[in-house]
Amino acid sequence: MNKQFRIAQRFGLMFRYDQDLPQDMEAWIELQLQAPSPALGIANTSTEVAEWPDELQPNLAKRAGMWRRNRALEDQARKGKNGQDTEAARKANRFENLMRRKDELKFVHRNVYGSDQVKLRLTAFWANHFTIGNTFDTANMIGHAIDEGILAKLNGSFADMLYGMTTHPGMLTYLDNIHSAGERSERAKDCRKRKDCQAGLNDNLGREVLELHTVSVAAGYSEDDIRGAAQVLAGWGVNFDEELGDMRKKAGGTNHWNAYKKRWAEPGTKKVMGQKISAGRGGLRQLTDFLASHDHTINHISAKLCQHFVSDNPSTDQIESVKLAWHQSNGDLQAIHTQVFKLAIDAPEAKFMWPMTWLFQVVRLSGATYFKGWEEIGDYDDNLMSSKAVLEELGQSFWSSRQPNGYSSDKAEWMSAEMFERRVRFADAIYKNGNTRLSVNKIMDRIGAAEQTRALVASVGASPGDQFITLMCSPELMGLEYV
Amino acid sequence: MSKLTVGRRNILKAGAASLFLAGMPITGFAKGKPPGSISVIILEGGMDGLSTIPPIGDPDLMRMRKTISPEGYLPLNDFFGLHPSLKFYAQLMARGHASAVHATAFPYTKRSHFEGQNLIEGGGLSPFSEKTGWLGRALELAGVAGRSLSLDMPLILRGYRDNDNFYPASIRGSGRPAADLLEMIAMGHQMEAAQIFTKVANKSKENVQVPRDPASLAKYAGQAMAQADGPVASVIRVENFDTHANQVEEGDTDSGRLARQLVVVDDVIAGYRRGLGKAWDDAIILTLTEFGRTVAGNGTLGTEHGYASVGLLAGGTLSGSGVVADWPGLSKKDQFEKRDLMATIDYRSVCAACLEKSLGLDHDLIASQIFRQPDLPRVFEHLFA
Repeated sequence: MNKQFRIAQRFGLMFRYDQDLPQDMEAWIELQLQAPSPALGIANTSTEVAEWPDELQPNLAKRAGMWRRNRALEDQARKGKNGQDTEAARKANRFENLMRRKDELKFVHRNVYGSDQVKLRLTAFWANHFTIGNTFDTANMIGHAIDEGILAKLNGSFADMLYGMTTHPGMLTYLDNIHSAGERSERAKDCRKRKDCQAGLNDNLGREVLELHTVSVAAGYSEDDIRGAAQVLAGWGVNFDEELGDMRKKAGGTNHWNAYKKRWAEPGTKKVMGQKISAGRGGLRQLTDFLASHDHTINHISAKLCQHFVSDNPSTDQIESVKLAWHQSNGDLQAIHTQVFKLAIDAPEAKFMWPMTWLFQVVRLSGATYFKGWEEIGDYDDNLMSSKAVLEELGQSFWSSRQPNGYSSDKAEWMSAEMFERRVRFADAIYKNGNTRLSVNKIMDRIGAAEQTRALVASVGASPGDQFITLMCSPELMGLEYV
Repeated sequence: MSKLTVGRRNILKAGAASLFLAGMPITGFAKGKPPGSISVIILEGGMDGLSTIPPIGDPDLMRMRKTISPEGYLPLNDFFGLHPSLKFYAQLMARGHASAVHATAFPYTKRSHFEGQNLIEGGGLSPFSEKTGWLGRALELAGVAGRSLSLDMPLILRGYRDNDNFYPASIRGSGRPAADLLEMIAMGHQMEAAQIFTKVANKSKENVQVPRDPASLAKYAGQAMAQADGPVASVIRVENFDTHANQVEEGDTDSGRLARQLVVVDDVIAGYRRGLGKAWDDAIILTLTEFGRTVAGNGTLGTEHGYASVGLLAGGTLSGSGVVADWPGLSKKDQFEKRDLMATIDYRSVCAACLEKSLGLDHDLIASQIFRQPDLPRVFEHLFA
């Protein structure tokens, strides 16, 4: 591949079929880090690329309201009230009040049509680092977290992103923190007097903040440290279907992203990994700031960034250089990302593409229209699956139910016959149904395909469909071999 | 809650049976087709053994877990009960075709899902020390292939090139790819990727339609293993055992997240039973989970990460039904780090016994080459006599 596409494959999503190629790639990457990120997409498969309409991008308060309505109507449906128990009413309720399909399509559109491809790759990395799995009650929040907690925070500090994602209602719900109460909290004291209520600490989020989001098990923290973190977190978050007024009364704050229930909080100073953390709302920011600048965090995430963008087995020198950028910039994500890109440009080996990254790249390279428009959500199409079904089938979706460690960047986790079969099948489906705009030969010329790749494509005969599958499933396009 | 009455006939051989651990090496090596099949159900998230097989005879159980212990358990004997979700499993127990091993764990005490999952699948001496899995290494030694019922190839099966996976695609607007095209693509790849595309080519010659729910996949796996040239091992994963909250429903300890997931496990075992047919007689199925959960409930009708749990075994190769345990007790002083059920049986020994029975491999070989632990105790006699 020529330099432009080699770099765009490794930490972008490939230049779209009709995009001009930049000459100076280093300058292009710097510009990409600052690129604006409008949510580009299509209204339907025959319209031009345009920005997603505002009404399909509700803010957090609206999302909470929709969730509340969805729950209320579901409840009526269960009780057979107000005609809500018909299939049509249930469908209308899901369509109007649940955001998953819309958010997932918007995410896919961004990745297919966006001109901020480098930021979108970084968004995928960080959204995966701060995994919020779909537990159904997180359905209306995952898309918001990706847009507002990750994409909008890519050029700030890691400390800000960590605090934002730890306090995001999606995370607080996914890892059970909304139920957690300090054992000496007023809430727990009340509950002990009553029979109908239970209140106590739930350490799920505290544990994963330490293990996955920051210092990792390499730090050698103890169960007491996990409990300490859980105590700092106790009180954060409320049920998403709580009325806004009740939520404010109970938890102060102005929206679900800063809801802190004093009565559920553990009183007193806490201790986490030797660090004293004050009581009250401000304690969490002390904790996340302490963790954000911890050596083990810097070590853990520098290695993870290298594994994602540079090599399955990054060298100590490579990781050290990212750590250095981290220290010198006080955890400024832009400086850190820039250093990762420097390493990636010079990387001597191939980097295997995640299934979703590969899929977006195939669509962009060929100019296919493989995903429906936002006006067509819910419409059945004989040939085009919903974005939800595509990503599920591919085995990788940020809206799937999964464990908090997210998807691995290690090639070994993706090497299986079924996984490879999906790539063949989707290449086939995109070619047959996606109305591709460039021929296989034009794509190969544009990207400067290696001789080896051209020979492989030629070996399968003259069928353009077979050639398309072969090109997209070649070692070069899958990121299996550097040629 | 009414108690289940199904199969209460004398289904436990011994009470809270103590297990005597002793190494009893047998010589001999697997040759040709192995004697049986082995299937592993991975329970992801850390299954609560104390609610799956509640030790009802332990006076501390209700003291520690009144709000979460299932009320409608089926009593197996004076000491152990069975969760009401496990209805098919209860029938198997009544027929001598299922056993449980309690207070058991892999030697891992740090309570991280991801380290724990890596260790129980890798089967090495510490998390992330192995690039292959214990079942994969065993199949390589025996020279026979296994199959995972999943989109990915789980770590547990890695290590033998003929191992395969199965998870049928459902992609609109695309047909089954032609085998000769896939063979050409395979030729353009190197090493592992070439092998994988060759497997895709072979797969495309068959046309198997199976629904993708765990029970249907288990039935398919059973059918495949029952064939003369089929795989001798299979792996299936059931998620969502990480019951920090709402493990039980408020006011109904027989319902909730754990109850729902145990129904899935029960259905998977039933699926295997149906699919295996006559091959059930030579089969062993075992569950695997990264850890058990805290003895005490937390404040959110759930439990936190713990240490020992229970292993469920089923198959015609078992010599009878029972709960094998060297019961550690539940009081504070008996708990691991004053919070978790203590492990008194190394679950690697149970896995080793299942490998010995199904693949005909020598215990010492399994201990040293698969689990890297030459002095791993042999518990074969307690399960297969």
